[in-house]
Amino acid sequence: MLELNAVHAHYGKVHVLQGTSLKVADGEAVGLLGRNGVGKTTTLKSIMGLVPATGGNVVFDGTMLTQIPPHKIPGTGIGYVPQGRGIFPTLSVRENLEIGLPKAAAEETLAHVFERFPRLKERLRQAGGTLSGGEQQMLAIARCLVLKPRLLILDEPTEGIMPILVQDIRREIAAVNGAGVSLLLVEQNIKTALKLCSRIYIMEKGAVVHEARAEDLKNDRETLHRYLGVTV
Amino acid sequence: MELVIALGMNGIVWGLIIALIALGLSIIFGLLDIINIAHGDFFMVGTVLAWFVLETTGNYWLAFFIVPVIGFAMGALIEYTVIQPIKNAAALSIVATFGLSIILQESVRGTFGAAPTRLVPPIETTVPLFGLEYEVYRLFAALVSIAAIVVFFGFLHRTKMGTWMRAVRFDPETATAMGIPARRVYIVTFAIGFAMAALGGVVAAPITTVDFQAGVDILPFCFMAVIIGGLGNLEGTVAAAVMLAFFEGIMASFFDPTIARIGSLCLMSIVLLIRPHGIFAGATR
Repeated sequence: MLELNAVHAHYGKVHVLQGTSLKVADGEAVGLLGRNGVGKTTTLKSIMGLVPATGGNVVFDGTMLTQIPPHKIPGTGIGYVPQGRGIFPTLSVRENLEIGLPKAAAEETLAHVFERFPRLKERLRQAGGTLSGGEQQMLAIARCLVLKPRLLILDEPTEGIMPILVQDIRREIAAVNGAGVSLLLVEQNIKTALKLCSRIYIMEKGAVVHEARAEDLKNDRETLHRYLGVTV
Repeated sequence: MELVIALGMNGIVWGLIIALIALGLSIIFGLLDIINIAHGDFFMVGTVLAWFVLETTGNYWLAFFIVPVIGFAMGALIEYTVIQPIKNAAALSIVATFGLSIILQESVRGTFGAAPTRLVPPIETTVPLFGLEYEVYRLFAALVSIAAIVVFFGFLHRTKMGTWMRAVRFDPETATAMGIPARRVYIVTFAIGFAMAALGGVVAAPITTVDFQAGVDILPFCFMAVIIGGLGNLEGTVAAAVMLAFFEGIMASFFDPTIARIGSLCLMSIVLLIRPHGIFAGATR
């Protein structure tokens, strides 16, 4: 479904991605882990065309994403939940939900989203910036779901969320995946990544250095410690 | 007393016209981070094009429809050729738009001439108002400005492009990731800014002079409205423009116009001392 082949990317003269390669299969949930500054967010941004790839390519269901304008990438079937959620604070919840649609959302589309996130229905006219962190995260995910993506990319979805809500967010993400939407998840919270994903890539210095099944990685204390500096 | 009322009313009319022009300046600054030194000249181009339409067709009313369209097209062209190459370089934008200002002024001087011209208002009647015989055209100018401002806010809050403009203004990267063509939004925004200033020029031409330097006097006033209203706060810009022009109109009935302008600058300084981010800061939409 999604394939990154030796992707390179630069911020000015800084060579951030140094040949990143990874794959996400249909319906699969894949985690991308690594210490701060290894290029995880840049990898996601290069998939979305927000940081142009200076080498290699990104292919999604046969479409070469590196060759189309960034604003057309969501139309190929990829939803992106950025780090920090990226809610437009002065737009209402409804405007945030409909931002990527050419017209107002069909009621059945909204009804489907509200089934999953009922709190948003009560806050439709409220400005996005007035929602709590957890509600904003729900809105960020819902905003992608109205576009009916086949792949959902999430950049640290539980970051800055009240611990009590982390479970809810995790459950909703699992439900989205359960409905057949593939996931590519960047997480600092390793527990969340290991719970949600079946396969994990670990990045270091702008490239993927390790790949493992989540089940195996859970018990691989040495790898977790070596690359992530943690003990589970 | 009659003079105070007349100048106060003229001030409100001017304030509404300035609000129309300053809104363009504000959206260009808010969305593109461009300090547009040429914005006053967009107004001036509007006055000259209005004169041109009158000269060629003999019908001033046509200018209300034709000139904003020409302004929109010129704005789109300028964004593409001048602004886009210097995107994300705020300091360069001052130099580039200053150069643009000189080009527009000298182009008008070369074609239209250097001598100021006065246009006869298309409505020459007066009506009794607060004991005065007040020009109907000025009331019409106020109404057109109000209508244009209302249409602008309607566009901003009720259309897809308006929503996109508000989204891109806050976070262009996320907006792009949601499928918004940010590049097109930038062009449309700058074009709307030019069109609004040009419409302001059409409205104002019969009550001011048509002159290649007409924008030089307007620009500081627009900047004052944008700053006092709270940078990027569109509703604040409108309120500040009307209050400032009214204040200056009243001042001008007691003092020399230059003293009145100094008074406005002092008022702005006081406002910024008390509220450094403008009167309406914090209510940005």
